[in-house]
Amino acid sequence: MNERLKVFKILITLALLILAARAGQLQLIMGDYFYELSEGNRLSERPISAPRGKILDRNENILVSNKEAYDLYLLPNEVSPEISVGDLLLSLANITGLDLELLENNYENKGHSSSAVLLRRNISREMMVAIRENKDELPGVYVESSSLRDYVYGNLAPHTLGYVGEISLSELRAYSEQGYNYRGGDIVGKVGLEREYEQYLRGHDGIEQIEVNSRGQMVKTLSIKPPIAGNNLILNIDLELQQYFEEILEEEFYRLREIAADEPELFPPTGAAGIVMNPNNGKILAMVSVPKFDPNKFVSGITYEEYAALNNDPLNPMFNRPIMSQVNPGSVFKLVTGTAAIENLGVKADTKFYDKNGKYTIGEWEYRNWLSWGEGEIDFIRAFARSNNVVFYQLGHELYKLDRGEKMAWTARQYGFGSLTGIDLPGEKAGLVPDNEWKLKTQGEIWYPGDAVHLAIGQKITVTPIQLINFVSVIANGGTLYRPHLVDKIIDANGEVVIDFKPEVINKVPFKKNTYEILREGMVAATNASYGTASRHFVDLPVKVAGKTGTAQTGAGANHGWFAGFAPVDKPEIAIVVFLEEGNSSSYTLPIAARVIEKYFSLQGDGGSE
Amino acid sequence: MFLNRKLIKNVNWYIPIVTLLLIAIGILSICSAGELNKESATGIRLVKKQLISVVLGIILIAIIQFFDYRIFQYYSTIIYIATVAVLGMILIIGTTAKGRTGWISLGGFNFQPSELAKVTMILVLAEVIDSKREELKYLTGFIKPFLYVLVPTLLIILQNDLGTSLVMITIFIGMLFVGGANVRFMTLIFGGGFSLVVLLIASHLLFDTPLIFFKKYQLNRLIVFINPGIDPTGIGYNIIQSKIALGSGRLFGKGLFAGTQNQLRFLPEKHTDFIFSVIGEEFGFIGVLIVIILYFILLWQIINVAREAKDNYGRLLATGIAAMFFFHILENIGMTMGLMPITGLPLPFISYGGSSMITSLIAIGLVLNVNIRRKKIVF
Repeated sequence: MNERLKVFKILITLALLILAARAGQLQLIMGDYFYELSEGNRLSERPISAPRGKILDRNENILVSNKEAYDLYLLPNEVSPEISVGDLLLSLANITGLDLELLENNYENKGHSSSAVLLRRNISREMMVAIRENKDELPGVYVESSSLRDYVYGNLAPHTLGYVGEISLSELRAYSEQGYNYRGGDIVGKVGLEREYEQYLRGHDGIEQIEVNSRGQMVKTLSIKPPIAGNNLILNIDLELQQYFEEILEEEFYRLREIAADEPELFPPTGAAGIVMNPNNGKILAMVSVPKFDPNKFVSGITYEEYAALNNDPLNPMFNRPIMSQVNPGSVFKLVTGTAAIENLGVKADTKFYDKNGKYTIGEWEYRNWLSWGEGEIDFIRAFARSNNVVFYQLGHELYKLDRGEKMAWTARQYGFGSLTGIDLPGEKAGLVPDNEWKLKTQGEIWYPGDAVHLAIGQKITVTPIQLINFVSVIANGGTLYRPHLVDKIIDANGEVVIDFKPEVINKVPFKKNTYEILREGMVAATNASYGTASRHFVDLPVKVAGKTGTAQTGAGANHGWFAGFAPVDKPEIAIVVFLEEGNSSSYTLPIAARVIEKYFSLQGDGGSE
Repeated sequence: MFLNRKLIKNVNWYIPIVTLLLIAIGILSICSAGELNKESATGIRLVKKQLISVVLGIILIAIIQFFDYRIFQYYSTIIYIATVAVLGMILIIGTTAKGRTGWISLGGFNFQPSELAKVTMILVLAEVIDSKREELKYLTGFIKPFLYVLVPTLLIILQNDLGTSLVMITIFIGMLFVGGANVRFMTLIFGGGFSLVVLLIASHLLFDTPLIFFKKYQLNRLIVFINPGIDPTGIGYNIIQSKIALGSGRLFGKGLFAGTQNQLRFLPEKHTDFIFSVIGEEFGFIGVLIVIILYFILLWQIINVAREAKDNYGRLLATGIAAMFFFHILENIGMTMGLMPITGLPLPFISYGGSSMITSLIAIGLVLNVNIRRKKIVF
């Protein structure tokens, strides 16, 4: 029977060899794989969100900051295996009062196996406390204190500052392609400076790596990668001037709408814009778009209804008019026509013109002045100050005869019209400088003298308010076209300067010094001479203002009102543009411009900056 | 009665030394599984109880040596009656732990008689098979041994202890085989029995007929064994976590008290059923290999004892014990590696558990008894 014991021995040997081989397979061949799994079991990573950079005005008043908020996360690795996620979410919904379906959707949409899933952003303090109190029932549920964007002055400069929101799928894709590291649920700048400077403002999230046991309870912290706060933006914007400009532009806007509501022949303005800029370097001191909106609404979770209401508002409050409105500049454009005339037709300040009957005729066509009678003999400066159309029709016609208006269009382009100014905001529009080539291409017709005379008084061409202020700045500083800039410098959380933006010249405008002098003389006359179209409003100011009004016909009866100017005349410190969209007349812009200029100089008197 | 000094000189020292080494590894593993590094009161209690069982078991080994093993042959009828009586009684008065009835309280210690029943049945079967040695060449010769095994096995199944009843069947098969039974008839009987069980399960799964011998959870264990992915957080959890623990130990292991699967309690039943996974995680493939080699030496030497036994009874006795250990080792280690379905069988000398430790040491005592009273080798 001892043979059978041998069989038994062989059996034992084989069986134990199999066990050893299996151990070798699991531990040696698949060891690294199982090691990773065991690490995955044990490790959990909790995000530490980095505060986004602040936005400050030129005097370092905080315009955009962060306030404490609570984000609700689910950490799948810390959910005990005895509990299903469904049950967990149900208890969470019961405890917090949050909508179960919403939680489930958020979990499913963002479910990755090992990283934290953001269930709900910005939960209330009460919910946070309720979750803490019921911690034992909610393994794997984790409330992280985070920061919520805080637009300190509510709806101050919302178009410029912009707002933030959760990253969209297309943004996620676009940023990934550019090599940036974003995850679903991240907060990014959506519009305005928040978007333009996203890569500077965003911080880098930290990670806390912790060890958890099988019930998902934290055992200890293994490592912390601290978050890096985003950089701060220091703007050229002056808070007080911005507030003041907004206040009076809004006030005037709504007052005009109210008046128009009672008077059927008046049109209610549909929007307004205003910019104050330093003409010597392109720094923007104030930039206003009316109507406004409150960016805080977007941050704390805007409802669909609120969003739809904003989007469907016929006044389009989300539209950033200073850089997006492309409209006719009206008579302000006579400064361009004037430039071309001085440069090419030898027109001088005292060149005489004759306005017989308020009409200019080319063949059978008649072009009218805004006055129905003739002003008789009129020199160039006076024609400018009076904004006499007949004179500028004539100039436009003569420029046309020269080269079919090519010089005219070229002059406009030299001043920056027809191309982006490159302001540090997303969404800027370029406007349009029409010419023969453009007309042939779009309408199949040549550029006619009639087109030329219309262009001469600022019809046909479209410009943005930011282009217009950039243009008057060239006249103010005598020939330099700067890139308008909102941000002065970027500093990091420790106050170290990251970028100090220097004035950037986009064009050395090649006109004679004398040309700008004549234009300035014309603008001074417009705002100061007794006969000037804008004289009444500026004469009482402590500084001498140069400016030009414009009333652009829209064709529908309503007119855009414009004012563009600078002050003081001798040594310009600021340029200003006021735009009333479908306001009735440029005259409404004048008191606004006057008061803003006055405010600016009163601020300087207080010992403010510059 | 006294123990002849000459008898002690006969001892196969491999057996006690390997046993003590395995026990030492076991105690160390229980320290780690009991999280003694965290000053866990439960852990200290586990280690203390295990040490008491070891001491008790060693005393029993010594006592056993005073008797010639043939005394058990003489009293086998009484042993059998006592075994069946105790197993029957437990069904009525026993307490239940983890789905298994079969615990009785003896002065603060809970004891599981079905553990000891494996050894007493080896004593009984050795006598039954020895006395039927010639008849086992015919089919009719199987009837008596078969009936002897059937009664206690059924009683153990009724305690829901499927693992132990499987051990019983393995012991029976091993002893019949070494006892000289006709292999063709054995194949017929056990192969037929196995087929019947498979048929019963298949019919339950397909036609929802009632399960006999099985509880639903036992069937589930079987299903999960075949595919642990079915329910990774439920019943498949144990298998998956055990494999992760074992595999993640790689070659050298994570070190004593440093197994994360163990220390962070991802591993279930870690001081009892899954203690081998703790060894694998903390001592790596090297540790696993050492344990397997130690078991190999132990089984090999027990079979040597069987081979050198003075008589057929002694040989069958050692064979039964080898078969018992063999099945425990194969099933327990195989289970931690996902090679075997989950049953609650402990790993001899290593798993925490007084009944198992004492029973295993008694078995070693019996093997040594056969060993020291072996026939003289004439040179």
